[in-house]
This record gives sequence, C-alpha cells and structure tokens, in this order.
Amino acid sequence: LESRHLLTLEDTSREELREILDLAHDYAEGNLGKPLEGKTVCLAFFEASTRTASSFELAARRAGADVISLSEGGSAIAKGESLVDTVVTLDSLGADAIVLRHPSAGAARLATRHTGAAVVNAGDGCGQHPTQALLDLYALSGALGGFEELVGRRMAIVGDVLHSRVARSVIPAFQAAGMEVALVAPQTLLPGEDGVWGLPILSSVDEALGWGIEVLYTLRLQSERMVGGSPRVPSVAEYAAYYGVSRRHLEPGVFVMHPGPVNRGVEISGDVVLGAASLIPDQVAAGIAVRSAVLTIATGALREVAA
Amino acid sequence: LNGRDSQHELVIRRAHVLDPGSGLDGITDVRISSGRISEVGDGLRGTHELDADGLHLFPGFVDVHAHWRTPGREDEETLESGSAAAAAGGFTGVVMMPNTDPVVDRPVIVSGLARRIERESRVRTYISAALHVGLAGERLTEMRLLKEAGAFCVSDDGLGTASAGVLRNGMLYARTAGLPVILHCEDHTLATGVVHDGTAAALAGIPGSPASAEDAATATALVLAAETGAKVHITHVSTALSAALVAFFKERADVTGDTTPHHLTLTDDLVSTLGGAYRVNPPLRPDDDRRGVGKALRDGVLDFVATDHAPHASEEKELPLEEAAPGFLGHETAFAALYTELIGRGKLSLPRLVEAMSCAPGRWVGEGGGITVGGPADLTLVDLSEEWTVGRETMVSRSSNSPYLGKKLAGRVVGTVVGGELVHDKIGARFGVRA
Repeated sequence: LESRHLLTLEDTSREELREILDLAHDYAEGNLGKPLEGKTVCLAFFEASTRTASSFELAARRAGADVISLSEGGSAIAKGESLVDTVVTLDSLGADAIVLRHPSAGAARLATRHTGAAVVNAGDGCGQHPTQALLDLYALSGALGGFEELVGRRMAIVGDVLHSRVARSVIPAFQAAGMEVALVAPQTLLPGEDGVWGLPILSSVDEALGWGIEVLYTLRLQSERMVGGSPRVPSVAEYAAYYGVSRRHLEPGVFVMHPGPVNRGVEISGDVVLGAASLIPDQVAAGIAVRSAVLTIATGALREVAA
Repeated sequence: LNGRDSQHELVIRRAHVLDPGSGLDGITDVRISSGRISEVGDGLRGTHELDADGLHLFPGFVDVHAHWRTPGREDEETLESGSAAAAAGGFTGVVMMPNTDPVVDRPVIVSGLARRIERESRVRTYISAALHVGLAGERLTEMRLLKEAGAFCVSDDGLGTASAGVLRNGMLYARTAGLPVILHCEDHTLATGVVHDGTAAALAGIPGSPASAEDAATATALVLAAETGAKVHITHVSTALSAALVAFFKERADVTGDTTPHHLTLTDDLVSTLGGAYRVNPPLRPDDDRRGVGKALRDGVLDFVATDHAPHASEEKELPLEEAAPGFLGHETAFAALYTELIGRGKLSLPRLVEAMSCAPGRWVGEGGGITVGGPADLTLVDLSEEWTVGRETMVSRSSNSPYLGKKLAGRVVGTVVGGELVHDKIGARFGVRA
C-alpha cells in the first residue's frame, strides 16, 4: 500500500473500508505497538474543534508519532496566514501527514497541491468529514457483531443534511458498506436539487421506523438554522416533534447515533443520549483507533506494520 | 484614442471579409485611409499593404462588459494591460465598469479616467459610471454631470439593486440624462451561496444560490424597464428562464441582453473540482441553461456576447471555491472559445457569431461594428485554422484567471485595427511597404 490522502469517502470501496476498520481493530486490541515512531503528524485546525482535534492528537501519539498542533488561537492561522502558506510551512517542517480542519469545502484537496505529505481531511466546510463516518462504521459494526452484519440493514439520517459534512461522508460510506439509507428532513434542510443521492426522503422519525430502519443517525441542528434572518425551521418544538428522537422511538433493535455535540431536547431527548440504545459514547471511543489506522495508512507506515 | 486616427493608407489584401451587417462575405480587399474605410473591392493596391491571404476579416469586436481594475487594483489590470488584452482578443471597443476603488461615481473621476484613457488605452473605451453613489443602491449619481464629463452609460455592475423602488427612480433619471443602464440582475436575499444550487453543489457541499436569484431580479428589472421607458441592457444572462423573460419584454421595453463566452461553453459540473478558479458571478449553470442561452443568442433574443472580463490576483483565486473572488478573464479567449465550442459543434453560424461580437454591440455603443465605406477602420483579423493552447504565458492581461487555462482552442486573433492603426499584430511579417 502506498501512502495516500484521505479527502473524501465518495468513491471508497467496501474493501478499502474493511481494510481501515480491520487495522483500527488491531489498534484497539493493542496489537500494533507504535508504527508511527519517527513520523511527524501536523494538526492544522482553521476552525474551532475540541473533540476531533483531541481525538486525532491522541491517535497520533498512541501510534508513536511526533505531533505539531496549529489551531486558530495563538498561531500564524490567527494572524491570517493563508491555507496554502500554512501547508507549505508544515511541509517544510517535514510533516509526514497534515490533518486539516477548515471552514470551506475543498480546502483539503487544495492542500494536496502544495505538499508531499499525506493530507487527512478532518472536516472541510459542508464538504466531507471522512474519519467521522469511518468511526461511525466502526462503532456500528461493533454493536451489530461485525462489518458483515451491516449488509442489507436500513438506516435513516435525520436532520440538517444540507449543511452537514458528516452526512456527505456517511451517505457514501454506509452505502458502500451495504446499508440502505434514507433521509429524514424538511425541504429547507435538504439540497434544492431533488434526488442528488437517489435516496428515499421520509417525513418523520416515525415514518422512518415504519420503513424498517435499525439505525437513527441524527445530525446536529445549529441554532442559526432555527432563528435569525431566514430561519429554516419554525420552532424547536415543531422540529423535535417530527425530527427529534425520543424514548418512544426506541423499539428493540434500534440504535441511535450522533456525531456530537448534541443539542439535547432538539434532535435527541436527554434520556436517550446516554440510554441503552445510544451508540454515541461508542462513536467517540472508536475515534482514536480509527484515526490511528487512518494515519498509519496515510503515512505509508502500514508497510512496516505488515513487514 | 479617437484623436490618433492614422494618416496612413493601408490596403488589407485578399482576406475573407465577413460583415453580416453590410452583407460582405467573400475574398476581397479593403482600403483604409485616415483611419476610415475608404474602399472595398477586388484588386486594390496601396503604398502600405497587408497580405491577409487565408485570414478572415471581421468588423472589430466590441465588449460591453469589462473590469480593468483602474483605479485601485492596478496589480490586477491597468488601462494599458486591459486594453492590450482586449486588442489581443480582437476587441476594438470596450465598456469599462465602475466598481473600482474609488468607485466611478463622481464627474471628476470620470473626467480623470477619460483623460487617462486617451493616453493609455489601445482601443475605443467607453466609461460606465455608477448608477448609485458608491454602488450602494441608495443615492442617485449626478448622471447629467457624469455624462458631460464623459460617461457613456451607468451601471451598478457586480451588485444587484436591493430595492425595486430605488431601481425604478434610477431608470427614470437615467432616461432624463440620456444614459443607457446596464443591469447585473441578482436578488441578494436569494443569492446566499457562491455557486449554482444544483447537483454538483449539493454533492460537494458548496453553498448554492438558486437560479431564482437571477430570474426574479431580471423579471423585476424588465417590468421596470417597460414602465419607465429607460434604455436598459441586461448583462450576463445565464439562465434559460431569464433569456425567455428578455424575449417576452423585447416588444414591450427598450431592452437588450447579452451572455458571456463562459456561460455559453462551461457548466456547473466544474464545481466538483472544488477549485476557486471556477467561481464566477452569475455562477456557471447546468447544461440545460447553457443550451438555453445559446439558443437565445442564436435566435437574437440575446443581442450580443460580452465577456465580463474580470482579472483577479492569484492569491484571490488560489483558495477553496467558497473563499475565492468571483470572475474570469474574458477578452483573450472569447472568440476562440466560442468558435471552438459553438461553431465547431454546429451550434451557431459564423455570421451570427460576428453579428453577436461585432455588429450588435457596435450598434449598442453607436460606433464601429461594420465594414462600410466612410465608417471607422475598426477591424479584426482572424486565422480560423490556427489551434493554440491557453496558458499563463499566452496571457497579455496582468492576471491569469482564465477558466480555459490548458485548453486547446481553434481560431486565433492575429491582428486588430483601431482607427486604421494596428494595435495588435501577430502577423508583422506579412505587413510591408510596397516597393
């Protein structure tokens, strides 16, 4: 395997997904030691992030890498340095991998044109968030008893699909893993062009349950979508009534997932977040092993693991 | 430039002369004396001759929409470089837009610009002043004084007009001032994204603006044009619906329309590259719209082509699409892009293209646009057989933000004549004094 960028999951095959998840499993079992020893991983976060940045940093350190961290507070990024200049700087420092979070879609792809390091997209605008979808697959596989168990099962992605980079990675990744995906959202939170993904669009969480879903993947509804100049939903109460997940939806065998941070009482009621059906803690926990695996493949360290 | 009409006599020999306006379409000779066309016919000889065997000779192209970034952003374009780029693209007349720094909204700025144009521009240059002070869509500019200072028309280009009431007053007053109004139709309450709100934008996660942002503003502008009687030109029409709206109002208002080479040749699937190079306003549209505006141009619903030549520094384009400045270079690739993509694919005839690049916009500015005895010698010589690759190094403009970089195009402008003077010359060897 060559070192490679991870920019999007749009064209990722089932075999590639399995390879990453298997490697993550080896990391979680503690079988791999420190294959990234001697490698330098740079975190360049042009947008505030606590959980993703911490998860990547732990993932890199546990696998043995040296870590340089630039964030929007207290660095050249705060001084207005351009994306391209930051990437060139990190490249000159000898980065083997650059983990990039940026408010605009396409930032990670632009970065690849200015560095020889592997670029790992840690979220770009409303574009892609590939490691989130990978850790989601890992967590769900674990809950269902294996990657093979995903095939043929139905899931619904609920909420603000329009503005969600998570949805743009989860949709192709879960489909590649063999799942059937539906969307549950009002028209104001869906792309204007009907049927871009060719997925069924359902009108409520109740209807999704009727469709036979086993996974409710809920998305965060940002507060600016609810209020402000051009609100996209009329009220929290109405949103929660049709698109919120509450205890009454928890039929046996239904799992609830969320990429965090959760608006309790909006997309998920408080008693569901940490309930038995919730995979939210599993998702967060999966992040470290999955990101170690991603960095190992990206930097080409996998060859040494295999040897 | 108008004062520097050449005293020389020049005969352009054996070019294929094509001017749909005067019906010329065949190999013949054209004599130019004192900056004007003095004779058209076979077997003409003169003291200075240009052997144009194998070339086409058209009335000079006229571009009613260009941004030469002067004053304020001379790092991106100047009057000299912008006019040289225009000449390299075969344009003999250009309207320059007022969204500069400072904005061209006061008579003293117009008169200063007019003086610099005389010294620095290679082509006939018409100043569009602002319709509203600071392009802010509130206070009317002093349109009568602007006209006296040398403004040719008014426009708030680059911005739509926030309020229909304000636009209506602007049209009424422009009519009083005798100035045409060029309108960039965009409703900012709808245009909240940076690309066309279509499949490519949805998949890429780039914020899209719906086509209604253009269509609703176009409809409003056309209704007001009909009611006020102002002379209105709708620029860069990019959707099939807006073109149909223009068609509906053709008999009801004093209205003309243009579309751009890029809206006629490129589509929004380029959004999937995520590259800032492809951000432009109005955005690239789906193929249905591209074909719709192409048909409207063919049928004369849209009167002519304008390039919206918009130079940008590389640091403003080498960014994620959402952050890049909108705009493409236009002058140097306009003819070749249209010749390659529309004529090469049988979508448009060469006479209609010449009509749309020369005759119709020439009529709109009231100068040039034809090869007629007694008229100005504003001419474009083209080698239709030459294929060339668009590259940064081929660009005469100070900027290089062309969406056609790396693309191989057919048809090259090899000579441009303004007022009898050769202002662009890639055929120097053919031009000689007769022994």
